[in-house]
Amino acid sequence: MNSDDQLILEFQQGAREAFVELFERYREPIYGFFRRRLEHPARAEELAQECFLALLQNVQRYEPRASFRSYLYGIATHLVAAERRKAGREVVENEKLDDRAAGRNAAGNHDAGIWLRKALGHLEPSEREILMLREYEQLSYGEIAAVLRMPVNTVRSRLFRARAALKNQLLPVK
Amino acid sequence: MERHAQHAFEAEEVMAYLDGELEARRAAELAVHLVSCSACQEVAQGFRALSERMLSFEVERPSPAMNARVLAALDSSTSANQARTSRALDHGAWNGRPVFARPRNWAIACVVALVVTLALAIPHTRRAETLPASGRNLRNLVAVEPGLAKSQASDLEAQKVTPEDDVQSALAGAPPPPGEELKAPENVGPMIVQTASLNILATNYDQASAAIDKLAAAHGGYVEKLDAKAQTGNARELTASLRIPTKQLDGFLADVRKLGRVEEETRSNEEVSDQYVDLQARLKSARATEQRLIELLGTRTGKLQDVLEAERELARVRGEIESMQGQSTILLHRVNYATVQVDLSEEYRQVLGSGPVSTGSKLRNALVEGFRNLQDGAVGLLVFLFAVGPSLLFWLAILLVPGWFAWRRFRARAQA
Repeated sequence: MNSDDQLILEFQQGAREAFVELFERYREPIYGFFRRRLEHPARAEELAQECFLALLQNVQRYEPRASFRSYLYGIATHLVAAERRKAGREVVENEKLDDRAAGRNAAGNHDAGIWLRKALGHLEPSEREILMLREYEQLSYGEIAAVLRMPVNTVRSRLFRARAALKNQLLPVK
Repeated sequence: MERHAQHAFEAEEVMAYLDGELEARRAAELAVHLVSCSACQEVAQGFRALSERMLSFEVERPSPAMNARVLAALDSSTSANQARTSRALDHGAWNGRPVFARPRNWAIACVVALVVTLALAIPHTRRAETLPASGRNLRNLVAVEPGLAKSQASDLEAQKVTPEDDVQSALAGAPPPPGEELKAPENVGPMIVQTASLNILATNYDQASAAIDKLAAAHGGYVEKLDAKAQTGNARELTASLRIPTKQLDGFLADVRKLGRVEEETRSNEEVSDQYVDLQARLKSARATEQRLIELLGTRTGKLQDVLEAERELARVRGEIESMQGQSTILLHRVNYATVQVDLSEEYRQVLGSGPVSTGSKLRNALVEGFRNLQDGAVGLLVFLFAVGPSLLFWLAILLVPGWFAWRRFRARAQA
């Protein structure tokens, strides 16, 4: 099985199926990325599409500096940032994170989800982002560092702080 | 020893170990340590539990519609076999490079900065043009040199004005000449307040300045305010604000134009009919109120309190009536008498010192002249830079930035 980095280089050479493979691999993770960060599922889907379209349109400019995953999530992070700027939603981010739990989710396990989202909403934004990239996108410290453009050690220390803070937030409900 | 071993690993290292991010040798040590250290086991368990808990933030799967659009784009993209640039990409960095690591972003920032600078600079240069007096003041600083002032004293006497002295004859509020009654132009169409302004450059300043008063009087008007300036080394200036009967305005202006070369002339009309009508209506209603109050006081016998109240009200209404009558009079006066602003300035010629001039004075004059020239030159250069600089920079940016890109591309190709 080819690695992501090989696939994107193959696609750069014109192999259509390489992109299809990448799309299959990242369709759900990328959608999940936007879904966890935005209020509306439809908007999350649009941005996920936009993310892949951006990948598609700029493949010729892709340079294998860091891993493909950090490249892809870099695009996604940027799209989310642009979306929040546009909507001026950053301010109400905390409320939105817990409001989002209010039943629109397809999966069960709602109560735990609500508490978790509320707790996540109380984290400092950059720490929350690192924690989410680690836990949900399963990025390595190095990949997170590349996506957020910060040193790996900073990622590690902030991740630790984020986890400690989240634990504290969750304690009362245990 | 046991106690020390427990603290040999920070909780952060345990976290990194669980994330598979601890350096190999250290990870091996921690793995051994974990078997025996209950405290570290507890820490590790805490992290695992937290990660598990975080999984409760589940999301639904994307709809299949998403595939269609992306794959359609893929097909069109591969058939075109060319990467298109997306507008969204211009906003940031996609290859893990910071925004300003891209030269194009720099160029865009430069152009934006230029445009902003221009937008800020242009109104200022415009404003500077409308204030030529400030340039003259600069010159005055040089002109107060005492020796020079003395040498030109005789010249100043001829001007009948003391140097550095503003003669200001404020004749504001002068009553209109007798015989001219203020009449409300009833049924004669709209009421219009006329103003005119003239900038005149007079060849014979003394004659012209003396003529202004006479002309105003001849046309039945009067001088409201007069301000004459005669500063050493400068052209003399006279600013007069005149009130001329509206009917005479055209004739007066025609005469004033003969005083010299008209550099600028503006006229404006402001219609005040509605203002006047409104004022009259309010006046009428106030008078009716006054009348009613007088009747009330004459016929009713009430409590002292009520009588006092009525008288107070009467006084207030009368005050209002007077104020409105005053406004009405002023308005009528403005309509009947046009305001004419005349700015008269002398066509200035450098005056040579009369009589024999000593070598010392000549040298001093030359020095002052030289200094003045230097200053004029510097101001001229600055004016030129301000006038031409922004557009020069702008066009340079417009032409150079694409040229620079083309050159870079050319060089990149040559290297490849």
